[in-house]
Amino acid sequence: MHGRRFTSLVAAALVLFLMPMTARCQTAAPAAAERLAPADEWVPPQAFAVLSVPKPKALLDWSLRPQMIQAVTSSPLYKAASASPKFRELQTGIDMIEKRFSADWQTLVRRFTEGGATLAVGPDKTSLLILDARDAQAANDLHELVLQLARGGAADKGQADPVTSSQEGDVTVWIVGGQQTHAVIGKRLVFADRPAVMQAVLSTRSGDAQASIAGSAEYKAARQAAGDAQAVLWVNSGLLKLYPPVAQALSAESNPLIALLAAPITDAMKQSTWLALALRVKDDTITLEALSDGTISPEGAARFALPAKGGQGPMPNLAVPRRLAAMSLYRDLRGFYAAKDKLFPERTSGLIFFENMMGIFFTGRDLTEEVLAETGPDIRLVAAEQTYDPEIAVPAVKIPAFALVLRMKNPKRFSLVMEEAWQKALGLINFTRGQQALPGLIIDRVEHKGVKYTVASFAPAPAKERAAAEMRFNFRPALAAAGEFIILSSTAQLAEDIMDALAKEASAAAKPLAQAHSLLEVEGAQLASILAANRETLVRQNMVNKGNTKEQAEGEVGVLLDLLKVLGGARLEIGAVEGKFLARLQVRVSLPPAQTGEK
Amino acid sequence: MAAESLDASRAWAPYEPSPACPWTLARAAHLHRRAGFGATWGQLRQALSDGPQKTVDRLLAGQGDVAAFNRGFDQNEQAAVSGGSPEPLRAWWLRRMIQTPHPLLEKMTLFWHDFISASAAGVGSGSLVRGHIQFLRSAALGKFPALVAGVARDPMVLLSLEAKANRKALPDLNLARQLLRRWTVGPDVCTDRDIRQAARAMTGWFVLRDELRRFDREHDDGEKTVLGKSGRFDDQDVARLAATHPAAARNVVGRLYRWFVDEGDAPDEAVLAPLARSFAEDFDVARLVETVLRSALFFSDRSLHRRVKRPTEFAVGLVRALEGTVPTTPLANDLAATGENLCHPPTRDGWEGGRFWINRATVIARSNLAAAMLAPSGRYEGKIDPAALVRRHGHAQAEPAGRFLLDLLLQPADDAGKRLLREMPARGDLPDRLRTFAHVIASQPEFQLA
Repeated sequence: MHGRRFTSLVAAALVLFLMPMTARCQTAAPAAAERLAPADEWVPPQAFAVLSVPKPKALLDWSLRPQMIQAVTSSPLYKAASASPKFRELQTGIDMIEKRFSADWQTLVRRFTEGGATLAVGPDKTSLLILDARDAQAANDLHELVLQLARGGAADKGQADPVTSSQEGDVTVWIVGGQQTHAVIGKRLVFADRPAVMQAVLSTRSGDAQASIAGSAEYKAARQAAGDAQAVLWVNSGLLKLYPPVAQALSAESNPLIALLAAPITDAMKQSTWLALALRVKDDTITLEALSDGTISPEGAARFALPAKGGQGPMPNLAVPRRLAAMSLYRDLRGFYAAKDKLFPERTSGLIFFENMMGIFFTGRDLTEEVLAETGPDIRLVAAEQTYDPEIAVPAVKIPAFALVLRMKNPKRFSLVMEEAWQKALGLINFTRGQQALPGLIIDRVEHKGVKYTVASFAPAPAKERAAAEMRFNFRPALAAAGEFIILSSTAQLAEDIMDALAKEASAAAKPLAQAHSLLEVEGAQLASILAANRETLVRQNMVNKGNTKEQAEGEVGVLLDLLKVLGGARLEIGAVEGKFLARLQVRVSLPPAQTGEK
Repeated sequence: MAAESLDASRAWAPYEPSPACPWTLARAAHLHRRAGFGATWGQLRQALSDGPQKTVDRLLAGQGDVAAFNRGFDQNEQAAVSGGSPEPLRAWWLRRMIQTPHPLLEKMTLFWHDFISASAAGVGSGSLVRGHIQFLRSAALGKFPALVAGVARDPMVLLSLEAKANRKALPDLNLARQLLRRWTVGPDVCTDRDIRQAARAMTGWFVLRDELRRFDREHDDGEKTVLGKSGRFDDQDVARLAATHPAAARNVVGRLYRWFVDEGDAPDEAVLAPLARSFAEDFDVARLVETVLRSALFFSDRSLHRRVKRPTEFAVGLVRALEGTVPTTPLANDLAATGENLCHPPTRDGWEGGRFWINRATVIARSNLAAAMLAPSGRYEGKIDPAALVRRHGHAQAEPAGRFLLDLLLQPADDAGKRLLREMPARGDLPDRLRTFAHVIASQPEFQLA
């Protein structure tokens, strides 16, 4: 039942998508059977974005499998949506379509799109949709449906038949409402939102394939790079970069921290002429690759993310218990900071202030040559859910523990430098808190599996406050030098977990990732867990931030938790192949097993 | 009752509708605006049906289980400030104002917040600010001396006044000055010597790690003379002496007159005197408020539209009337931009108020705020839907729906109503037209008046 409803929803979405076009077009007699060129050879060269789904079957099989349908239809979001009048309206429309063709809508969608779907966007927000149906009859059936909807819609409003037609060579072009057009050519349906776009398509069809977008060198390169992806979005990034928000994002590099993180990406984008997104789905994994011809400039901030020699790169992320997210970067901190005056000339005074401050902690050492130069280029960050000792305090708002792990070039020397700086920082924190009459941190040296490290913690909360204690009890900062690594962690627990993970990594002789400079991993189930631990806080925030009732807020938070539970995990790896930008996002979905329906 | 026919002896007599001063929709709305934050259509109809005195009864008592409602909000506020910052309180307080079944209690809590003028700026602890507002709420309709005594020992107030350490060797004058000059007898009655002597009585109190602590060794136990009385007073003695002084009664009555009746003109002493005498008998705030709300003067033309709405009254009133609940986190920020940053009075004298609420910038800010709250999407999430409201009240067509909104929000005279109705958009979907029209109403100069 739910499966049927879900499929109906998707069918309705398709109908809605086609409606504006179809409502203004009419079926034309299909042109004589012809051998159709690939759809992108009909796309005018002015298009700046083309989405191709050459073989929809794999995507449809994946997204319409019973397990997926059950997961969607059992979600609170779907249940809420299905109760709305608009949903019921859609359902009615879908029922009508299914009745007309005596088939469920999944079958119809497969029949209407079996040969592929191509959507293109051009100048002045023009759009073009090309559907290759299973056969000419299927194309004609869809065409007839479109006509029926167009005429029915007009009749419901008491309007005259909105459809006109014109003959363009061997093709009848149907125009609805004076703008939307479509034509049936063999088993292919072409929808264009302006007559001029349809004219361009028909001209391209009858002309040289090189005159279409398929003839563009950038498009060819993108399609080649995307390989056998099940869906490919190609974008002319030269035009994309002119779009103000994108232009702004690409130019926002004046913040050194953001530049350190994002410069390899923005730099590649600045150099690119095309961008392609390639989608693949298999089993429980969705893989989305972003590819472009952009390379990293030898002048910008991004060059400090380039491994100096082969075999270098970011290390695999550290595996700790209750891990929420982890990031591993390859960044030459010393080189980056040494180039600061050239990279961020407008930040000079701020950076001088920063350096002076660091001088206090590092006892006058030169930040570039005596501090940053002591660290290796592999930088790792970890965030994990915490557990709390009820004898000390359980905070009302539970935030993740987080840690930074750096490799030291000379551990014996540099660990002492860090220790001194760390204790100065704790002293400063305590002094500042003392000025505000707030409790301070007590510094201690403890040992974990032979490693002595420094931890600072608050005295236990008063007994009556322990069950819902202040936010500060999320912090038990620690500094540990474990072998050649220095660990700065917001909690001692995470510091110890990282020490264990580093030991395992050493015994497994882990190797850096090739052809990458950044790696991010997120664990959906663990995110759901920490959000569930803060559920009441989230509900309260939702009430005042969104004006919801408590019930509504609980519903929205519940949806978020359900979505995160379905998201098993995500992994984003960014780097370059043969000098060209490549980012690969893999999302692992974690669907509950489908119920068989047997009792 | 026409303004010219009012005499002082009859000002505080109970209002009885008459042909000269009938019980109308406008007067019912006036009562709800002053004693609360405006009314829903159902409340207005109920008031018209019940008459003024029964409506005042209901406003004084609140409706439903007020205690349970406030307990629920207390818990939410306590959790909201567990992170330390007092800022989430503003959003929760606004939500409480919107949803409370006892609007008069919240209105009086707001009155005392302005009256005491303790600011969260520099306090740091959300729990202390929450405790302060909660205390004001608990004492809002109680006995005035108890309120003053409580405030004098409220750690948030002491921190706000930078009086967190009051030592015998160097008594802190801030609290004593505020208590005598602003909260009770006023600057015309108390002298600098009274303030210094009162400060001696208040020594020994410290705020340490957000807790009020008393150290006997730091208390000056000697004899003091305050407001003409001598004794070995402590802080509570001074609070009682000052709060029960006849001048304190006049001060509170004058401030409440401006709050409930008329802030445009300076109150006539002859009109205030009987009320101040009555208040001085028991310093019962609830009885004083009741007298004012039931009075002929309150319902007279001398009171109607004689106050400028505070930004909070403007926004909360609009939301309550349209039976919605908006996101109050952005609302708190927007109200700050229009001049009223809850929990942060601008000075120790509170908000200037009155005509100072209105200037070129705040008029635009109010109009923008109303537009944002009435927009179908955006930071207020389209939570207010005038079309749904008019449908619930049986209006499907544009003109009756527009007239309904006018009666609900503005109660204009016929001519003004007709003129405004012409400003309703003639085209477009009804929901959009009604949103636009509600914004037009909320931007009228008359809507800015309470």
